[in-house]
Amino acid sequence: MPRIKIDHTKCTGCRHCEIACSLNHVAGVANPRRARIRVFREGSTYFPTIAGPFVDAACTSKNDLVIGDQTYNMCLICRASCPEKPFFIEAETGFPLKCDFCGIPPSPSCVRWCNSGALELVEDD
Amino acid sequence: MNGWTGRCLRVNLSKKDFHIEDVSPSLMERFLGGRGLGVKMLSEEINPQVDPLSAENKIIFVSGPLVGTGAVTGASCNVVTKSALSGTIACAKLRGHFGAELKFAGFDMIIIEDKADSPVILSVLDDKISIQPALEYWGRTTSEAEKLFKAGLGDKWAGRETYLLSVGPAGEKEIPLANVINDGFLSVGGAGIGAVMGSKNLKALAVRGSHSLTVADGDRFVQAVTTLINKLNSAPLTSRSMSTLGSAFFADRCHQKAILPFENFKAPTLSESKHIETETLPRLFALRSRACFACPIACIKKADVMGPLFKGKGMAPTFLAIGALGLNCGIRDLTTIAMANVICGEMGLDPLAAGGTVATAMELVEKGNASKEDLKLEFRFGEGDDLLQALTLMATKKGHAKRIGKGGQALAVEYGQPKRFMGVKGIPMAPFDPRAIQGMGLHFATSNYGPQHLYAYTFIDEVLHVHEELDPLSTEGKPELVKQYQDMTAVMDSLGLCNWPLMGLKFKNFVPMINSCLGTEYRAEDLLRIGERIWNQERCFNMEAGFDHTHDVLPERFVKEPLLEGPAQGHTSKVEEMLPVYYRLRGWNEGGAPLPGTLDALEL
Repeated sequence: MPRIKIDHTKCTGCRHCEIACSLNHVAGVANPRRARIRVFREGSTYFPTIAGPFVDAACTSKNDLVIGDQTYNMCLICRASCPEKPFFIEAETGFPLKCDFCGIPPSPSCVRWCNSGALELVEDD
Repeated sequence: MNGWTGRCLRVNLSKKDFHIEDVSPSLMERFLGGRGLGVKMLSEEINPQVDPLSAENKIIFVSGPLVGTGAVTGASCNVVTKSALSGTIACAKLRGHFGAELKFAGFDMIIIEDKADSPVILSVLDDKISIQPALEYWGRTTSEAEKLFKAGLGDKWAGRETYLLSVGPAGEKEIPLANVINDGFLSVGGAGIGAVMGSKNLKALAVRGSHSLTVADGDRFVQAVTTLINKLNSAPLTSRSMSTLGSAFFADRCHQKAILPFENFKAPTLSESKHIETETLPRLFALRSRACFACPIACIKKADVMGPLFKGKGMAPTFLAIGALGLNCGIRDLTTIAMANVICGEMGLDPLAAGGTVATAMELVEKGNASKEDLKLEFRFGEGDDLLQALTLMATKKGHAKRIGKGGQALAVEYGQPKRFMGVKGIPMAPFDPRAIQGMGLHFATSNYGPQHLYAYTFIDEVLHVHEELDPLSTEGKPELVKQYQDMTAVMDSLGLCNWPLMGLKFKNFVPMINSCLGTEYRAEDLLRIGERIWNQERCFNMEAGFDHTHDVLPERFVKEPLLEGPAQGHTSKVEEMLPVYYRLRGWNEGGAPLPGTLDALEL
């Protein structure tokens, strides 16, 4: 089964994936707030995050994330949109958004426009 | 409307009010947007002879129609005003994400009128427009101001989506060398704009929004963008050189052709003294690539800079920093150059203008025209500490640095040595020696924005040989080349595209993307015609501001003192020979004024 692999060390923060997603889901509309992938910045690191299932309550299992010598807020890379994190919700309808692996196979549209190598399609069995 | 939002925010700072206007579609059709539209609006709204630092001057922040739509490298926002340094029209190119967020906030442009009586910040956040007092921001460096503003938003998520454009202490003190900074990126060509913003007591602009931009033909647009990304990926310069070192890789290419300046462009130099080891950059600074909005090239390099004055993250040296702050001041140490560049970013100084000014001061001291006691600072070529100290004092207007803060030309004139200032129209030269690269030389002399390379990058063909293999030392075909690049750059700036993709793509490659986005039927020639119209509009503004052919000259040194060795040995700039041809091509008279027929044909 193909999956999207994210390598945050390669992300340059250009947000082209956000626009690719937006253009692909609503014909001819570019708006990062309608994208099902967002790039969050923490210090000098970028975390591309793909929308997962919606949860209607804040979780209780929040931990700090330690990568190397840096500690990050776990919320950053959490894929869910929740009352604590107002992302992946369509502004006009309030409808939660979720990645549907769109685009022309084999690559989802965000992967196709990602030039840094941060997003990559891999086979996972 | 496709690409454009069609809305303009007009803010009056003294009355503290604002209103929203529609942008006329015919203007957008004739001037595209961005730089073109900004220049047209400014020409209509202010008297070109106005004092740049007075309340009558206006500042226009304007994004191009392709910005934010996902068009490849569509990120550029322009700041148009009358420059406090040169008195010509000024147009800074902002990198980063500010331009795109301005569009998502629902505006093509923001026009700032009049001046506030105390420091303010203008914010357009999710359709809430406010002019808030900013006393606690005054005096802070650009990164401090950004942190403080984002912390003040209260919501940790909102801060992530807010983009800030600000001036540093240099701008607040109305120093004509000041630039505007956004998101830690130095803008290109912003010399003198920071001071105008400072004179209006406008510390910063903040934008955020959730408006959608529409694209005329989504499928065709996505296809066109994908094609361009693949093309950029297969071109060696954009896929490798720019991505690994950023623009710093030009330094080596320029060194081979003897184009780099050294110690205020003095002629007799040893070629070894100019060699700078750019390939050591990744080792020295642990470079991290950062990209502007929707850019696959990612030429901006962030670095950890450690020095006595500053420890932290900043921009790694770009070509401009290496040339203007480094070699032109005789400094080859990359760590010092990086420090100087970071100070410029934090203080809001323009590296080109500040470097050129310091180099002028250094020459005045070296030649005995000015003494150390006069300037109250040491100015020795090759001494990193002198440069760093001068930059810091210049920006804060502390001590006796007021003199140099006025800019290189004012300084050289004050000591009766105007010939020691290497610049045109009051703006110091970009780090290209016109004796060794004739096309750039002609552009430097004729440019509406002073001798800044990014308004016609003929270097691409003269040295990098991307589209054509031209000899940089020959004058053949150069007036045509310069005109073509000047027009092309005007179009790309106006649309909101960056200039770097021209290192991998031809101008005509962009046309399908432009048309599918805007729903137009432009051919490449039509667009170049619009570029010519913009260039002439800028020229008319400068003519009315009091500039003519007598200002289209290079400093005497480039015409009279030949290079003594290296590949360009014995060469001087032949700008006087090329200038009449260039004027004829442009349809201008000998005085450099556009002929009535030319303006009619361009519908001006």
